[in-house]
Amino acid sequence: MPSLREPGQRVSPRARLMWLVGGLAEGGALLVAAVLTGWVWHWFDLPWWVVAALAVVVAGYVAVVPTWRYRVHRWEVTDSAVYTQTGWWTRERRVAPMSRIQTVDYAEGPVSRLFGLATVTVTTASAAGALEIVGLDRGRARALVDELTLKADTDPGDAT
Amino acid sequence: MSRLDTPEIDQSRQWQRLDPRMLLVHPVRELIRFLPAVVGVFLAGTASGNYVWHLVGVGVPIGLGLLRYVTTSFRITAGRIELRRGLLERHVLSTPVDRVRTVDLTASPIHRALGLATVRIGTGASSANEEDRLDLDGLPLDRARELRRELLRVAPPSSADAAPEPPERVVVVLDPTWVRFAPLTSTGLVIAAGTLGVASQAMNTFGGWERLDAGGLVHGAARLSWWTLAPALLVGLLVLVTLLSIGGYVVANWGFVLSHANGAWHLRRGLLTTRETSLDDERMAGVSLCEPLALRLAGGGRVSAIVTGLDRRQQGSALLVPPAPRPVLLRVARDVLGISGPVDAPLVGHGPRARRRRFTRALAPVAAAVLATSLLVLLADLPAWLLVVAAVGIPVALVLAADRAQGLGHALVDGHLVARSGSLNRHRHALATEDVIGWTFRSTWFQRRAALTSLAATTAGGQQAVTLLDVPEPAAVRLAAAAVPGLVDQFTA
Repeated sequence: MPSLREPGQRVSPRARLMWLVGGLAEGGALLVAAVLTGWVWHWFDLPWWVVAALAVVVAGYVAVVPTWRYRVHRWEVTDSAVYTQTGWWTRERRVAPMSRIQTVDYAEGPVSRLFGLATVTVTTASAAGALEIVGLDRGRARALVDELTLKADTDPGDAT
Repeated sequence: MSRLDTPEIDQSRQWQRLDPRMLLVHPVRELIRFLPAVVGVFLAGTASGNYVWHLVGVGVPIGLGLLRYVTTSFRITAGRIELRRGLLERHVLSTPVDRVRTVDLTASPIHRALGLATVRIGTGASSANEEDRLDLDGLPLDRARELRRELLRVAPPSSADAAPEPPERVVVVLDPTWVRFAPLTSTGLVIAAGTLGVASQAMNTFGGWERLDAGGLVHGAARLSWWTLAPALLVGLLVLVTLLSIGGYVVANWGFVLSHANGAWHLRRGLLTTRETSLDDERMAGVSLCEPLALRLAGGGRVSAIVTGLDRRQQGSALLVPPAPRPVLLRVARDVLGISGPVDAPLVGHGPRARRRRFTRALAPVAAAVLATSLLVLLADLPAWLLVVAAVGIPVALVLAADRAQGLGHALVDGHLVARSGSLNRHRHALATEDVIGWTFRSTWFQRRAALTSLAATTAGGQQAVTLLDVPEPAAVRLAAAAVPGLVDQFTA
């Protein structure tokens, strides 16, 4: 066995749009803040090329990262384990045995709600071991929560 | 049935108060807590000539202390331990006895004078809120020890009862000569910084800076040459920090004893405030051998336990050996694990690519600094000796990188995952594989290009994970599959 394979399932394709909107909002806020403090209120001397460079970085991030993220983000649930892959520059693959799962959390953020998406977080007794599946279709996420709760329940032990 | 049904404990089914001697402790403590307000009230009272204020200033804290005693009670019933407190806002804390993971006994100097101890019951719930802590503040020492024994013995009732109680086995006792390691730890610096901070704050508050004859000092110092003044200051600072660190070591670790009895490890230490910690055998997931550079060069280090249910903030209570010589550390680590493999076994290195990564990561920032300095010297007319200062970083980085590369290693021996890394702060963690509750394979774009990955075994204790830095990917997958069979295997290609 040379290496781990990728998890089987992709997240919803709408997750790309969600990340795009999120990136635009954050980048836009950054640009607006720079322009307001530098040019409108004159708190400090802001050369035009700094703003231009910032805009290019934001544009590049918004153009590349959502798709990159979408390619990386994957998940898989078997009878005995949960396996997730997240990140873009830094890729993180996490495996947790079903018997060690403590809580299964379902969350809809303000942006993800716009796209009918949800995040499922699976925690173990370790503060370093939470598995997060971002950008799942709402219905799929609900079904996953039920499935995980059921499977984790059948395993005995106090999960530490 | 659990031990709590035996008659000797039966009396504790009723709500009971803490020790009445706490009536002496609480008022004193409240007085100290309200000290600034009390002083203020006293000054105001003296100024107005109305001495009723003095009574109020002393009476209110004392009254609060008495109320605290009257409103606090606890009981152990039906396998639960419950603590009730608060006057206006009633709190009832309740936890099942079989969730109890650690029981700490602490005794401040006031407690010790009265023969009392505070029992802190740890359940592994990670709540930062002080109100949510299950502290029985103030039981007679004997009663506290008995309670601790009862609470910790509930979990495995059968075997402990059958066998005659084994005598307490002492594993390590503090040797006063270990104090020589104290100046090599960072505690001295921390205490010195803290003391300086408090002192300058006090000077500020009482206007000491204005009264300090700064002009005279500067004048006096100016007569001395810079070359005599700087070394004198440096030596003075070194002596101060050394004394403080020795003081800190002695206050924290005086009378340190690690022993094993009744299925748990017991730690006792402290010069002024004594502290007794008990760590249940079943919660011991492994040990960490920590050797910060200065200690390592002097042949020392410390050992702490990885205890499930103790989070990062409580790490201090899992210290098994304070800074001590290496042979002692190894002996204790072997003893606590019950096997020698994880402590002594040679480790597998992480290969040339991991080694190269240590060097690039150490040299890149130094190279950037040298480049930036040369540009500034060339373009902005900065003095050229700055370049020499920056260049000194290069050999330092090389030595660090070589040491870090040489330290990297891992192994899977006797059911323990062993990982070693670091130079300034070298660790060798040994974690029992049954306490591994998940795996994280983390790799940046650079790491993926070099086919390396950082493998972390997550656990419910210690730093919450043991990380193997920059392992070749196939080795990482093989290791994870071998350590916890049937988990990672199903996801391999």
